[in-house]
Amino acid sequence: MTTIRPPAARSMSRLLVPALAVVIAVWAGLPLLWMLLTAFKPDTAIRTSHPTISFTPTLDNFRNLFLGGNRVGAYLVNSLVVTGVSTVIAVVLGCLAGYGLTHWASRYKRDVAFWVLSTRMAPIAAVLVPLFVMFRGAGLVNTIPGLVLAHLSFNLPFAIWLMSAFFARIPESVEEAALLDGCTKWRRFRTVSLPMARAGIVTTAVLCMVFSWNDYAFSSALSGPDTATLPQAAGALVTQSGIDWGLLSALAVVVAVPMLIAGLAVRRHLVSGLSLGAVTGE
Amino acid sequence: MSAGLDTAPRTTLRTRAVPPARAGRARRRARPPRGLKTFEFAMMAPALTVLFVLSWVPFVILIAMSFAKVRTLGGVSLTFTGADNWSAVLGDGAIWASWARSLVYFVAIVGLEMLLGLAVALVLHQLVRARSVVLSIVLLPMFLAPVLVGLLGRFMLDSTIGLYAKILQGVGLGDDLLASPSTALPTIVSIDVWQWTPLVALILLAGLTAVPPATLEAATVDGAGYLRTLVSIILPQMKPIILVALLVRSMDAIRYFDIVVATTNGGPADATKIIPIKLYEFAFRFNNQLGKAAVLGLTMLAFSIVMARIFLRFFGERPSIAAGDGGDRG
Repeated sequence: MTTIRPPAARSMSRLLVPALAVVIAVWAGLPLLWMLLTAFKPDTAIRTSHPTISFTPTLDNFRNLFLGGNRVGAYLVNSLVVTGVSTVIAVVLGCLAGYGLTHWASRYKRDVAFWVLSTRMAPIAAVLVPLFVMFRGAGLVNTIPGLVLAHLSFNLPFAIWLMSAFFARIPESVEEAALLDGCTKWRRFRTVSLPMARAGIVTTAVLCMVFSWNDYAFSSALSGPDTATLPQAAGALVTQSGIDWGLLSALAVVVAVPMLIAGLAVRRHLVSGLSLGAVTGE
Repeated sequence: MSAGLDTAPRTTLRTRAVPPARAGRARRRARPPRGLKTFEFAMMAPALTVLFVLSWVPFVILIAMSFAKVRTLGGVSLTFTGADNWSAVLGDGAIWASWARSLVYFVAIVGLEMLLGLAVALVLHQLVRARSVVLSIVLLPMFLAPVLVGLLGRFMLDSTIGLYAKILQGVGLGDDLLASPSTALPTIVSIDVWQWTPLVALILLAGLTAVPPATLEAATVDGAGYLRTLVSIILPQMKPIILVALLVRSMDAIRYFDIVVATTNGGPADATKIIPIKLYEFAFRFNNQLGKAAVLGLTMLAFSIVMARIFLRFFGERPSIAAGDGGDRG
């Protein structure tokens, strides 16, 4: 529809484009497919110098992951709690502050926006060092609240910034009409703006969840044996004596599948979310 | 058009309500100069309080640490040592080498991801029927935890059992790519490219769908070839969206270091020891040199602050770039 080209070019691209698309899909998808297969492979089918796709599927790897001496169940619970709590706090505070920032009439608006954005962009390594010292002083190292706070250091500014971008898209006429109807500002926020930004809220929540769930640097620096999360379990499976790839693949499936599903569920709004609201993708 | 219609009645309303002579004073009274007593600021207050504790306090601590010897055992203590950490870091050849390596790594991943992302976006844009399915597959690597991406890379490239290692051995690349100093960095670059090219492709695809079809048709009627159309018509129109992709990717490229940690952790022979890895070593691994880590942290922070400034200048106040749907047309 979008392109009209000379016949020769058209017939060439008719073959070339699907061929390239297949190459791209294989490039992106093959390692993930391989990981999925490996998770269900018996050890003998993994430890072979001839990678194979014919094997008898087994659940041994998953069984060992949760029942063996690996305590992955505990890691899973920590991950769920930290991700859940930090996402809810980030989204709730982010909605309030994002709305406030969008409608704030002050000459300091730009400065606050810059502060929020640069906090989100700060390199993890640079944030970790002072946070570690702070948490050490406050007794927050190796605690769940400490880890939640650490995850808020990147998810809260992200949620504020993104929600502010989503609220800014609500036409001003709608907001004004609500005020003229006699709404207070708070009622306008609750009954008009918040429902209109529903897609934005869901997108923000999903991305906060993904960032928190996948975090490795913060949790490995700030948590100990009692508060370790799933990505750390992956690190812990790497030992001097080698890596049990079957176990690791099973773990990767457990960690990745919920995020892949959540990510694809908000695909329509991903462009907005991942470009920090600079691109409207709906 | 619609924006113009909206603003007109609003202005009249406001001038009628407040007589012009008193408007200036009334506005000044209603709006305190700093905007701190407003409803909007009250809404921001809880979040900004938390953010203050998580950004300004660490920032001040980071600066203090960079001028001190830091002990964390048995309570945190800072002993100020002047500019010792700074001169040690600035005078350390290994750190300068690490900066150079970081620069190469940064330019390589961002550059390759931009180019490949554009290529993927162009192919997907031409694809009519299966675009939605292919895009879904392409997006998947982004959602995998970076530490797992690194480990998956190690698995695929494992010289005895790895699938990709087997394929590479077929074309004569028999060595363990992550274990050799000359190939480790390029290998890590390609793993990062695998994970993050999809993000660039997604953003650029949204930009491509926003280029008006009429413009493209006019160009082809004029007899311009595909490459020419791309260079002289499509790309110039996509300039703002290319900038978005570039900034978003640049900022994340310096933020994350999980893939390096999971694959080589700086080795072999320092071949992949980029600045965040160096910082992590100072802070947590060998001898507790948190002061030096703080110096490196501050220099990294300077970079991201420049990024945030540029991003805000282009996309902060201005309404966002409207772009077509990236996928669901197939």
